[in-house]
Amino acid sequence: MKEILVASGKGGVGKTTVAASLAVFLSDRGFKLVTVDADVDAPNLSITLGGGKTKALHEITISHKAVINPEKCSNCGKCVETCQFGAVARLEKSEPPVIAEILCEGCGACVVACPEKAIRLEERRTGELRVEETKYGFPLVTGKLVLGEHNSGHLVTSAKKFGRLEAEKSGASLLVVDGAPGIGCPVIASVAGADYVLAVTEPTPAAKRDLERLIHVVKHFGVPCGMVINRADLSPKYRKEIREKISRKLAIPVLGEIPIDYEVLKALNSMTPIIRFNPEAKASKALKAIFKEVAETVLEGKAHA
Amino acid sequence: MRENEARFLNVKPVDVPVLAVTGGKGGTGKTTVAVNLAAALSMKGLSVLLVDADVDCPNVAVLLGIELKNGEEIRFFKPEIDEEKCVRCGKCAEVCLEHALVHAKDAVPAFFEELCSGCGACRLVCPVDAIKEGYKVLGKIFSSKTGSLEVVTGELRLTEARSPLVVKATKDYAYKMAMHGGYDLIIVDTAPGIHSSVVRALQGADFALAVTEPSHLGAHDLERILQLGKEIRISLAVVLNRADIPSGIKSRIYGLCDSYGVEIVSEIPFDEELLKAYVNRVPVVQYNLKCPSAQALSTLADYVSRRLG
Repeated sequence: MKEILVASGKGGVGKTTVAASLAVFLSDRGFKLVTVDADVDAPNLSITLGGGKTKALHEITISHKAVINPEKCSNCGKCVETCQFGAVARLEKSEPPVIAEILCEGCGACVVACPEKAIRLEERRTGELRVEETKYGFPLVTGKLVLGEHNSGHLVTSAKKFGRLEAEKSGASLLVVDGAPGIGCPVIASVAGADYVLAVTEPTPAAKRDLERLIHVVKHFGVPCGMVINRADLSPKYRKEIREKISRKLAIPVLGEIPIDYEVLKALNSMTPIIRFNPEAKASKALKAIFKEVAETVLEGKAHA
Repeated sequence: MRENEARFLNVKPVDVPVLAVTGGKGGTGKTTVAVNLAAALSMKGLSVLLVDADVDCPNVAVLLGIELKNGEEIRFFKPEIDEEKCVRCGKCAEVCLEHALVHAKDAVPAFFEELCSGCGACRLVCPVDAIKEGYKVLGKIFSSKTGSLEVVTGELRLTEARSPLVVKATKDYAYKMAMHGGYDLIIVDTAPGIHSSVVRALQGADFALAVTEPSHLGAHDLERILQLGKEIRISLAVVLNRADIPSGIKSRIYGLCDSYGVEIVSEIPFDEELLKAYVNRVPVVQYNLKCPSAQALSTLADYVSRRLG
């Protein structure tokens, strides 16, 4: 089983657009695959693929939250002192401390600290995993995090696990994973176990810096990586800087550039991957050349051109 | 959410108005709005503290042309086991729900730092006081200044996963500054998404702006942040960025905001000047105040200043 992750550091540079078209391209090329939306905060791959028929919905309950029993609480305040996460506070002197569940990381330190055994951990929903059949013939597993949860990494890991199970069921041997922005917990969970990271960026100072941070994380995990410069004509200066200061310096090849193309916006709002919406669009042609390279080097064992 | 939890979340330790800039989707223009509001309000004579709480990918300094220097380490507890004192009872491993401490019979527990949440339960439970206070570095906090605008930036250490704690440390640092800073306003730029880091960035804000764009993705992710706002009872208004992009779906955003009873307080037009300013690392309100996007942002700054008194 191979796993390709589309990631970016900065949000809004085109991860989901690239991931949706990549999945359609590889599927057209004959690869049996499963797509996974690992941007569990803001999962958008389903919309970009035009929605699908839900085959299964799984509740994921791996979070724990501390709960105080006010009957047993002696109001000693040890839990407030103990909590490293600022999730326990005393609002009124005469009342038991309040735990803000949304801030509670479920570590259980307050349970240990409480001399009255007045605090216990309770299970809470972390999120859901939805398995859909897309109109392109491959399934999509979407992770969706409960609002405000901190366990996004665990949910991403579960989403990928379900993606693999789905792949085994349908005889697929490839996962195409759409990652979250950032470089923290959910991104680390998506990079772990990936065979290749396709990093999407754009030629702006912010995207360049975020790309650099992402690549350091990807390299730390030893995962091979290539990059795509989206909206490449946005700034010649930063396009050059990304090529010279990041691609060359960090030895990450630029697989191609996608020009600014309003057809991409139209495709997004018609909820169709751009390479299907308008296969002749400038952006589609650029994407297909990039995907061909990904298919050949990552999946078909050829050397980089 | 229970009443007392909401009250807890809305406590802030300083008597300075706090505005958060958020939005759900990445790349809609959160940081651009935050930076321009801060710059516009500074230009109008207010003393503003701008806090970058998107600690995974902090870009406030990038957009202001600031080079970050001399950061202060964010340290967090990790256990250090004194092997001489340890009686190998394994109690620390029992309470470690992250399985960062693993106990094999009759051995000193093994410690896996990447898994440690820093909660300190191990230290509390150790019967012989064999766990000493060590620390690990989660990230850095940078304090910088451009013109009259002061900036605090939280930055997650590369390969570290615990962004919410870096957000917490960054806000605590900013609040400490604000206690003797004489600021008129604190502006907090949040990460994309709806996870715990975003909650921590929104925590205590008097008011939040959710920046979105007229696309289905923008609408979907905006709805998540509107739901979160409702859940934690923070008052929100929406900024529609790139309001006039071709094939945009403005009406869907208006419909969505209507259904949540949330007002769209600004429409920022797509503007080449904004892009030029962005690439030149200058707020567009300083770069060219006359251009349409700068005008919209300046009007939004007036709205914020009225709204937060």
